[in-house]
Amino acid sequence: MLVLYPIAYLVQASLSVGDPQARPPEAYGLDNFTGLVRYAHIFGNTLLVAALATVLAVVVGFTMGWILSRTNVPGRAAFEQLMAMPYYVTPLMGALAWALIASPSSGFVNQVWRALGGQGHLVDINTPGGIAWVMALFEGSVAFVMIGAVMKSMDPAMEEASQVLGAGRLRTMLRITLPLVLPGVLGAAVFVFAEMLGSFSAALVLGLPNRFYVVTTAMYQLVSQYPPRFPTAAAMGVSLFVVMFAMVWIYRRIVSRGTYVTITGKAFRPRVMDVGGLRWPFLAVCIAYLAVAVILPVLTITYASFQHLTTAMPRAANFTLVNYKTALSLDAVGSALGNSLILGLATASLGVLLMGFLSWLIYRSRLPGAGVIEYILMFPQAVPRLVFAFGMLWAWLIFPIPIYGTLWLLLIAYLTVFLPLGLRTISGVILQIDRSLEESAQMCGATWGYRLRTVTMPLLKPGLIAAWLLLFIASVRELGASILLMGPKAKVITPAIVESWFSASTELTAAMAALQTLAVVAALVILFAVARRAVQQGGE
Amino acid sequence: MFDIANNSEAHLGRRGPSPATACGAHDHVTRRGFLKTGALAAATPLLAEVPFAAAQSAAKNVTKVHDFQTSADIAKAEQEGEVVYYGHDSEQGIAILLEAFRKDFPKIKTSYVRLQTGALYAKITAERSAGRFGVDVLQLSDISPAIDFQKKGGWEQYMSPEYAAYKPEYQSTPAGYFGVPGVGFSGIAYNRGKVKPEQAPKTWKDINNPAFKDGISVKLATSGMQHAQWYVLRKMFGNDFWQEFAKQRPKGFDARAQLFDRLAKGEDRVCALAEYAGYTLYQEKGAEIEFVAPPEGMPAIAIYVGVVSKAPHPEAAKLFVDWALSKRGQAVYQNQKILLYGSLRPDAGAMPTGKKLADFKLLFPTDMNDYVASHPIFVKEWNSIMGL
Repeated sequence: MLVLYPIAYLVQASLSVGDPQARPPEAYGLDNFTGLVRYAHIFGNTLLVAALATVLAVVVGFTMGWILSRTNVPGRAAFEQLMAMPYYVTPLMGALAWALIASPSSGFVNQVWRALGGQGHLVDINTPGGIAWVMALFEGSVAFVMIGAVMKSMDPAMEEASQVLGAGRLRTMLRITLPLVLPGVLGAAVFVFAEMLGSFSAALVLGLPNRFYVVTTAMYQLVSQYPPRFPTAAAMGVSLFVVMFAMVWIYRRIVSRGTYVTITGKAFRPRVMDVGGLRWPFLAVCIAYLAVAVILPVLTITYASFQHLTTAMPRAANFTLVNYKTALSLDAVGSALGNSLILGLATASLGVLLMGFLSWLIYRSRLPGAGVIEYILMFPQAVPRLVFAFGMLWAWLIFPIPIYGTLWLLLIAYLTVFLPLGLRTISGVILQIDRSLEESAQMCGATWGYRLRTVTMPLLKPGLIAAWLLLFIASVRELGASILLMGPKAKVITPAIVESWFSASTELTAAMAALQTLAVVAALVILFAVARRAVQQGGE
Repeated sequence: MFDIANNSEAHLGRRGPSPATACGAHDHVTRRGFLKTGALAAATPLLAEVPFAAAQSAAKNVTKVHDFQTSADIAKAEQEGEVVYYGHDSEQGIAILLEAFRKDFPKIKTSYVRLQTGALYAKITAERSAGRFGVDVLQLSDISPAIDFQKKGGWEQYMSPEYAAYKPEYQSTPAGYFGVPGVGFSGIAYNRGKVKPEQAPKTWKDINNPAFKDGISVKLATSGMQHAQWYVLRKMFGNDFWQEFAKQRPKGFDARAQLFDRLAKGEDRVCALAEYAGYTLYQEKGAEIEFVAPPEGMPAIAIYVGVVSKAPHPEAAKLFVDWALSKRGQAVYQNQKILLYGSLRPDAGAMPTGKKLADFKLLFPTDMNDYVASHPIFVKEWNSIMGL
């Protein structure tokens, strides 16, 4: 119901051919869909950047996942923690940072290039490749978390057997590791591709300067204009369902063809391969990735947040604290940040339970129609959240329980839009666990609850922790659904940050984004410290 | 200079087209005649069919509070203790505005929702159609939704005593539905480091100089100001003017901050819709930008504020609108640089830049029927020019 209820309103809007503002529609027809032909170039742009970004993100996610999970690269534990950092750096912050770094005229790189005697510009981030680069960097870490969770749960005996039989490391990786983590990789690819289809911030910040629109930025314009053209935007969104369903269908076909079980009754301890001298090039890869995805953007944003007007070589008078003073005076950084953190905790905690149960239902319960449930649950991923939010707005406005305008509505919205994220992350791990483990427990007389607590849940732990983390961060940085659904007394921070980019300045936006990132990191550090202490005390 | 306060030829609040734009076609309009009739489009000739409410709450029980007049019951307003504001300004701008009101009335809390006018209007109409009435005061930056909202019975008719300081053409028709707390206007701006002095634009026609191709910016079709510019310059120079402009491959953005940010950093050489308020903010930051007020005049638009019908805090809402239209509130709208809306009150002081609204030659759409009717044509043409 969470998914289909708003979708019904969205489909209804896409078929409305009367007054675009009329609710319910005055007349029905297919004109909005036939009219989409004139936006063919925008669909083309969208598929181009989504495909480019997905390939980049999955390659990066797999490479980093493999290096950090399966090799003895130095400092892997620390890197593993740091790998989630690009996800904390919101796509908007990443896009703003890369706009400052690589815009053709004022980009730091190009300013230095010209100062050294170069002509024109060396790099241009306002291109499809540039947009895909930024999207991959900041959405790509989802792929790492998803693939990494699967890799950690893999029995290394298979890789060792391959090496004992004479295969090299690369051959082992390609012939053994890769096929075994295929569900995780495919799940990540499907998810990341859908995420890229719905990606907004990078295309907004980097695409508009080059008159390059994707579906989300076009939709945003259509619904922001007066009168808002909901029917056209809804038709665009609904037509993306087709692309999404094709992706889910491909994923299910591949998954159903083979078996990807690596966790069986046979005991194993995750071990890493000794890659010898290759450890150092791998370390360089990790550092390079973190440099472009975290260090450079965070430093750039921090630097910009202390300036009146950001330039590569500023005067002393250009430095200021006024951006932080302004940011801290706004509601957005006070109550809204608190609300965002509360919602993040609630969404992640409830979401893991809900999505874990749904994953089990789809892949383990043998329930008739479980496949259909998976298709339904992927709906929110298929349509950009801004448009999905209109469906939710219409749906929950008339709902008899008075939750409209409260944080409860945002919680419901987040649990709905992040269903695909939680599902993909958890199901990648569920597919790896041999059913026989649960069946053995059942044969030994364990009840359903006992089996879940002592067998299934411990095995699912890496996937559940990954899902919790992703849901928490995704909630705190959520933008599309929040813009429309937050009420005057139930605000969250990310829309305010985007809004400040629209209406204030890059520098104020940078200060707000820096404060948001700081708060998220601080919250996570405290949470993990508390959790660790609780676990230690429990063990004593 | 064009004196907006003395522009008695303007009759935008009356039904039917003005003589200058009688047929809505530019070839019947002399430039001189058009400019002479430039004035504010606040009033709404489209609304003659809206019945005048018999129970108009005209100027009863007027009391003075601070230094302005109100018909609101102040004790009740303070008892209500809250005003919920929906607006289009920046988060920072709204925060400053509401903080100033709260300072004057500490017993009344404020909360707000901020969205661009299109999405804001969609939200409030969706809420009302579902029977949810949580908004007290609405402020819009475009006349079209303001009129539509009046047709839908969205505004409460409240005769603020402060309307006495405004000409009838700066009010809704009939009066009392919404007022005009400010005016914004736009010229041309350029980056001094990227445009040579001899190439600097001086008139509106200069924005079509091929030297600025791929380096000129405007706003997207979401902007009321962009609609006004498109409308008045099309009337002045003909339809071909914007088709010529399309060849410049202009870049479109949502808000003035983005336009000036890019201009200041040299990403664009010229901004063809440079709002004065944005210019002053970036000039203060030390940006190497120059503002040009073309001799033909500068396109201008009004913003609209009123009490929403079925407001949960009606007395607080009335008090807020009175305050916003008063000299006291206008000082906030006009003097806070993040807002910098020129005041239409004759007794308003100068802006922080030392200039009054009357010091600028402003071009307002004259024929409101034609202007509102042109909106869909504008959106279609502008989307196409922007590559959407």
